[in-house]
Parts: sequence; C-alpha cells; structure tokens
Amino acid sequence: MKCNEAREVMPDLAAGLTAVTPEVKAHLDSCAECAGKLEAFRQTMSLLDEWQAPEPSPYFDVRMRARLHEESAKQTTGWMRWLRKSVLAASFALVMVVGVSLVRMNSGERGNNTVSPLVAVGPQTQAEPGTAVGDLQALEKNQNLYSDFDVLDDLAVQADVTANP
Amino acid sequence: MDRGLLAMAGVPQAAPFEAEAGLAGEGLSDADIMLQVKAGDDSAFEYLVQKYRRPMVNFMFRMAHNNAAAEDLAQEVFLRVYRSRESYEASAKFTTWLYRIATNLAVNHARDTRHERPENTVSLDEPDQESGHTLDLPDRTPSAEDAIVRRERVAAIRQRVQALPERQRIAVVMHKYQQMEYRQIADVLKLSESATKSLLFRAYETLREQLKEFV
Repeated sequence: MKCNEAREVMPDLAAGLTAVTPEVKAHLDSCAECAGKLEAFRQTMSLLDEWQAPEPSPYFDVRMRARLHEESAKQTTGWMRWLRKSVLAASFALVMVVGVSLVRMNSGERGNNTVSPLVAVGPQTQAEPGTAVGDLQALEKNQNLYSDFDVLDDLAVQADVTANP
Repeated sequence: MDRGLLAMAGVPQAAPFEAEAGLAGEGLSDADIMLQVKAGDDSAFEYLVQKYRRPMVNFMFRMAHNNAAAEDLAQEVFLRVYRSRESYEASAKFTTWLYRIATNLAVNHARDTRHERPENTVSLDEPDQESGHTLDLPDRTPSAEDAIVRRERVAAIRQRVQALPERQRIAVVMHKYQQMEYRQIADVLKLSESATKSLLFRAYETLREQLKEFV
C-alpha cells in the first residue's frame, strides 16, 4: 500500500468508521509519517465530537404537522381553484354554444317566416302577371315594400325629433 | 444510511407523529416507503419524518447557525419531499435524495443569511444558539471557568468547520456527524468516490492544522 492509498482511508479510520486492515497496518508500521498523521486525525476527530447537536425540540412534531396540514390545505385549495375554473370555463363554453345555436335556429326560422311561401316559390316558379298567383305574388311584394316604408318613416320622425326638440 | 445514521435515527420515540412501526418490519426500503407516499399513503410519510427528523435537525444544526433555524430547515426538507412525492422515482437511494434536498436548502440558507450572522460571543446568561448548550448545565464541567473554556473550544470548532470551503464543509458534516459513507457523500455531492476521499482528507488536514491549539 502506498501513502496516498492509506490517506484515502484515513478519515474513515480516524472516525472509527472502518477497522484497520492488515494491509493498512503493515503500511502504518513501516511509514511513520502516515502513522503520525492518523494519530493527529484521531485527536482532531475526538475534538470535533465536542460539537454536539441538541435534540429536536418537543414542538418539532406539532409544528411539522401544522405545516403539513397547511401544505395539504394549500394543495387542496389549488386543486379546487383549478376545478372551479375548469367548471366555470366549461359552463361558459356550454352557454355560448347553446346561445349561438338558439340564435341561429331563431334567425333561420325568422328568415323562413319573412319570406312568403308565395315569394319563396322563387323565380323559377314566378307566375305570369295577370294570373291569380301572379297577382298574389305582386301583392306580397308590395306589402313588404310598404312595411319598409313604415320603418323609414319612423326613422325620419325620430330624426326630426332629434333635430327639432 | 447504512452505518451510523440509522443508529442516530434511533428507535422512533412516542411522539405525536405516529409512525407505522410495521413498515420497517415489513422489510420495505425507504424508497419503497416513499413509493407508498407517492401512492397517497400519508402514514408512510409520517414514518419517514419520524425516522429522519433527528438526523435532519442535526445536519441542519451544523449547516445553519442556530437551533430554531435548523428545525425550520429540517421541516422544510420534509415539506419539499412531500411536495415532490408525485414525481419521485426510486432510481437513487432515498437518503441520497433527502440529503441532496437538505444540502441545497442549507447552502441557500447560508448564502442568504451570510450578512446576518452575529459575531460569536460567549455569554454567561444566555443559552448558546450555536452549541445548543447553556453555561450552567449540570454536565461534566466542574466549574464556570471550565465551562467558558469548553464553550470557546466548541465555538472554535464550529467556526473552523464553517470556514471550510463549501463542499469540504458539507462533506465533513456528512462524514463526521452524519456518519455517511464515502459513496453516499459522493452521490449527494455528485462527485466521484475518489474525489470525495481527497476532499475529506484535505478538509480534515485543514481542521487538524487550525484546531491543534485545542488538542
């Protein structure tokens, strides 16, 4: 065994963590420097023993438990917050989807309602003027036109009111 | 934790934390128990706290600067273990993982409080925050004068250990006071075993030189 190999095991030997092997003993017997170093290390280790650590305080467990409880509560709160947010987001999305669907359905129905079945027949079924169906179609168109005029009249009145209070 | 640390942990005392004595009896390793914690078994976590609270407080006491900080830091180690339970992989020894968390915390704490540490003084009236002893303890010291000398010696030891370069200091605390093996210290510090032996030899050589007046 060489000096550097003996020195590698010296901390363990000095701390009493391993026993001196015959190989190490043979080296120490033949190397006064290493033997002296090991003895000095043993004295240092013995001195280091004086630095004692106190026992954990009696309140350690109580405080530990309180901190763990706090930690669990924090994690539960975080999880609940996440769940609440998710549920809220899902609900909002559902409301939006249902709302949009309803609006589309209503506008579809209204579109169908505003177009008279007669007019809805379309240009390809446009009846000849003078025939009964043609006259009815003309009346339907006029009715739509008049209702547009009424709206325009209302707007004009409102504009007047605003202009001349 | 093969040698002294388990002995240091000792038999779990009757404490508010009621560790499940059966876990160790079932021949489960700490890593197995930690996997139980991962699966949601809080009593398994309490067992680990009970088993390692003393070694952790001791480690933090020597890495930090007073007993109150040591307990806070030890508790923080366990909280971090608890927080990380879901990502725990039993690829390394549980104690290596535990000490790596503890070392990181202690090093950060030491850096954060570097400017807050008061100069060491010996007071006859107040208990020593560093050594944990009071001067008037009815211990082996036959007189107050001897007690002062002893406290100065302990303060010197603490100062010399804490003045070591960071990795040397951690290695000495783990080796001398936690009685960890070279291999495990190497794993915690992410060094080779040979580098760890060399690190420890240099650290003890420094301490031997600086403390020779007290030997």
